[in-house]
Amino acid sequence: MSIGILSIIIFLPMVVALALMVAPFSSRITRNAAFGVSLTIFALALYIYTHFELTGTIQFKEFYPWIKSYGISYSLGIDGFSLIILMLIATLIPSAYLLLWNNARSKSYWISMLFIQSGISGTLFSLDLFLFYFFWEAMLLPVFMIIGLFGSGNRVFSTLKITIYTIMGSLFMFVSILYLGVAHYYEFGVWSFALSDLVNITTIAREQKIFLFFGFMLAFAIKIPLFPFHSWLLQTYSNSPTGGVFLLSSIMAKLGVYALVRFMIPLFPDLFAQFSIYFVALGIFGLVYFGIAAICQMNIKKMFAYSSASHLGFITAGVFALNVQGMMGSAFLIVAHAIATGGLFLLVGVMERHLGIRSLSGLGGIATKAPWFTLFFAIMLFCTVGIPGTNGFVAELLIVLGIFHYNPYLGVLSALTVLVAASYMFWVFQKAVLVKSDNDVSNMKDLSLYEILGLLPLAVLIIAMGVYPDLFLYKIEPTLQHYLIDILHVGVK
Amino acid sequence: MSALLAGIVLAPLLSAVLIGLLYMLNITQMPLSKRWFTLPALFAPFLSFCFGVIAFLEVANSGTALHFEPYLWLSVGEYKIYMGFLGDKLSLFMVLFITFVGWLIHLYATAYMSDDAGYGKFFFYFNLFLSSMLLLVLADGPLIMFIGWEGVGLCSYLLISFYFQDNSNVVAGNKAFIVNRVGDLGFLVGLAILFFYCGDAGFSYTTIAHHVASMPSSLLQIVGIALFIGAMGKSAQIPLYVWLPDAMAGPTPVSALIHAATMVTAGVYMVARFAFLYELIPNVGLFIAYIGAFSALFAAVIATKQSDIKKILAYSTMSQLGYMFIAVGLGAYSSALFHVFTHAFFKALLFMGAGAVIIALHHEQNIFKMGKMRRVTPVVYATMLMATLAISGIPPFAGFFSKDEILLVAFASGEYVIWGIAVCSAVLTAYYMFRLFFVVFEGKNALHVNHPHDVSWVMKAPLVVLALGSLLAGFTGLPSLLGGSHLIGSWLGEWGMRVISVSHETEWLLLGLNVAISLLGIGIAYQKFYGYDLSRHQEAKGIVYNKFYIDEIYDVLFVRSIRKLSEFIAVGLDVNIVDRVIMGLSHGFIKLGHVVALVQNANVRFYALIMMLGISVASCYLIWAVE
Repeated sequence: MSIGILSIIIFLPMVVALALMVAPFSSRITRNAAFGVSLTIFALALYIYTHFELTGTIQFKEFYPWIKSYGISYSLGIDGFSLIILMLIATLIPSAYLLLWNNARSKSYWISMLFIQSGISGTLFSLDLFLFYFFWEAMLLPVFMIIGLFGSGNRVFSTLKITIYTIMGSLFMFVSILYLGVAHYYEFGVWSFALSDLVNITTIAREQKIFLFFGFMLAFAIKIPLFPFHSWLLQTYSNSPTGGVFLLSSIMAKLGVYALVRFMIPLFPDLFAQFSIYFVALGIFGLVYFGIAAICQMNIKKMFAYSSASHLGFITAGVFALNVQGMMGSAFLIVAHAIATGGLFLLVGVMERHLGIRSLSGLGGIATKAPWFTLFFAIMLFCTVGIPGTNGFVAELLIVLGIFHYNPYLGVLSALTVLVAASYMFWVFQKAVLVKSDNDVSNMKDLSLYEILGLLPLAVLIIAMGVYPDLFLYKIEPTLQHYLIDILHVGVK
Repeated sequence: MSALLAGIVLAPLLSAVLIGLLYMLNITQMPLSKRWFTLPALFAPFLSFCFGVIAFLEVANSGTALHFEPYLWLSVGEYKIYMGFLGDKLSLFMVLFITFVGWLIHLYATAYMSDDAGYGKFFFYFNLFLSSMLLLVLADGPLIMFIGWEGVGLCSYLLISFYFQDNSNVVAGNKAFIVNRVGDLGFLVGLAILFFYCGDAGFSYTTIAHHVASMPSSLLQIVGIALFIGAMGKSAQIPLYVWLPDAMAGPTPVSALIHAATMVTAGVYMVARFAFLYELIPNVGLFIAYIGAFSALFAAVIATKQSDIKKILAYSTMSQLGYMFIAVGLGAYSSALFHVFTHAFFKALLFMGAGAVIIALHHEQNIFKMGKMRRVTPVVYATMLMATLAISGIPPFAGFFSKDEILLVAFASGEYVIWGIAVCSAVLTAYYMFRLFFVVFEGKNALHVNHPHDVSWVMKAPLVVLALGSLLAGFTGLPSLLGGSHLIGSWLGEWGMRVISVSHETEWLLLGLNVAISLLGIGIAYQKFYGYDLSRHQEAKGIVYNKFYIDEIYDVLFVRSIRKLSEFIAVGLDVNIVDRVIMGLSHGFIKLGHVVALVQNANVRFYALIMMLGISVASCYLIWAVE
């Protein structure tokens, strides 16, 4: 019995991390090893991408019994939707390493990063709800380590707050998962937590289903975050070190949306369709609410935290739009936003390394000192704002079209997206980067070669996906059509 | 052959990428000589122009439009959108003068920007702009057009805030971008509605034209207005015009190319492109015409009191765009496009002439600090005179014919209010343009701070070419009344001349009236400003000088109120309510813990008491249960 490629992707970083923990290597060697691992995973992901077949089915499946007496299995697989997130992670993490190259000098930083990559991949591939829950919680632990050890400000409090907040949310999901397992046992006489089995349950009454639905939803809403479950976000983002905030914003938040699609659509197709209008509305509300809140922030990280929440609201709205345009747009915006926000946080990290942590009023005039920095900042900014020629534009356009299709009135509101990000992003660019001020920024240095190499693939992706989106979309479409037509029964061939 | 269309767009795009890379190399690694930037920057628009001419001749010979679809841009569900180019009579007409005037302005800019440290960056943006503009024009479908549409907006932002170290420039750039985005919001809404009626058969103009007839009229009106809101932003019409005067913060060639000759006419082009839609909803067309008329008048009134040479020209641009919208609103597309065409020549010339004067005076922009420029730069003087005559509507200069045609259309359509407003604006136009001209070139007792100098021939040569254009361009649309054959009107075919049902006598009368009112405006300006004594000039005051305080009102209404709202949300709601509830919950748990902890107080008598109570209650229950 050979080990599957998905298992390698999950366990390679973990094994290397464990080995590095006990081995007496310096932080430099640890970093190089971690970077090597991330490149290996990129190669494996590329292999999967090229061998992925254009059907809506789950591929690269792996299945081993884990806890037999309760039917818990180690069951993995990916479809088109998880494929693009896999590609995203595989591309972003090496970039992050390059940006952090001389930034983080501690060995445990790199080891935590490796563990995080394992946890993320596990969450992404799990097809067994128990396994999923395991990875979902496990991926947080190294994040706590990174924030708690390397954060700034009131980092211990931030760590506690995000920990308790998210674990509380997850507990509701855990109860729902157990309930589903028990219901499956009562109906079929065997234990199982596999997604493919749990979708067959028919005996749960509607009222109970609603409770289960919101049990799951709470966990995901906190992670995404949706209004009003976002108050952990600001402190966590502003107190996190660069690597932590990068992973939280560009990857983990997206896993919340991913899980929404992966688990909630098959488990509760009726409720998903029925409650969709509220979540589309909530998503658009979040887009505007967080967007407006971002305008007055003087701390760049807090502003980008709100910006993130704003975009994630929009992504969620697209997912609930129940049509292929909306879902495709959300999938695309997940990628676009992960790249752009990730890139921006990494750039802010570079700035903090040179200048220390500063509020917006203490910055200015960086552009002349650091042209490469400015160039990449501008590209990420244009993507966030959704300028045509970047993937951000394609994504926002598709979501707007999708929501229009769903409900024209909400569609008009969703078109506000063209104004929301522009209202603060250009201002922050003006204030922090462009305009000369009296503040001393003489310590600012331009990007090093490593940093340029790290950001270049992101910039290229932003533009390539904007100029020729279909090249990237066609891999996802069959999966989304499968969700819509076969599960939700709303799409048309 | 049709692949040439892509070539027209790609040439400046590739050149922009090349220049951009060279520029990054230039500022980070090794200094390059300017030639590295000049050559591609000038070659690319020229190449586009050549491609444009070839495509134009091809269409002229064959009579059929060129289509080119290199790849499937987006395919989602049943909707497929191709990266499609359409070279028909309208788009190639636009391409010709955009690339020609664009090339001249590029040439001029090589001299204007020659001492600037951002020389390479400037041409990177400039070529990128040209490419976006050509994409906007050549796109076969509103979605691809929207890419160009937003692309020109972005380049406009980049070029307005070109000198980004100065706060006010960046603020102007942001303002331009965000106001344009308000328009784009409308455009996007219109597009999304259209998409769901016409999207499944591809989203090209042809398929949309097939479908619109079956759409309900009320929906069509919404689409028409929504798309026009986009045009209001891009073409600086009331109420979304506020960005244009501030946009003059960019270098002068930018104002000439983007904020006069090309980008701002995109709104007019868009409405003409959607002629098939607007023809079904004449009431929306009338609305457009009224907006155009009011914008024309409003801008002309403001321009009479301004003292910044570029701002005067900016308001005159807005005013002339108003004329174009009068024409498209009334369905006279070819008249509007004729004015777009002539305007491109004389307005580019005016800006470039103004730029030459500004350079000659070491970056002085206040007309009351100029004066006597005739002696310093006679070539600029002569060419500016021709352009000023053209915009004032004096025959045989270009502006006369195109403006006359628009006024005739307004009159013949029976829209006498619009016609009246347009006539008033024409008087004002002649007045404020000659005010500018007389003060700058003939003003007495000028207080030049620096010694003015003449400018190089690289700057003057394009002026001469454009001056010839300003003189001759009008003859391409010579009305039949004067023995002409409406070359432009007949070339444009389906956008062609509407049959005008007025007698020759009326037509002659209107023509004479137009000349008379222009002369009237010039006469007043001559009276007041010829040989104006600059040393006695007092800065104007009042509501018109302050542009009716519209900027201040917008600032309070939109900018400050949103900041207030932002603070309210971020502090009032988020910190004080949302987070407080969450933290309150957790504190509640802690308090509950404290209360429960009271029970575990290690007091043996207390434990004994609880045991006693427990046993008593249990006993009572048992006794009660047994009975």
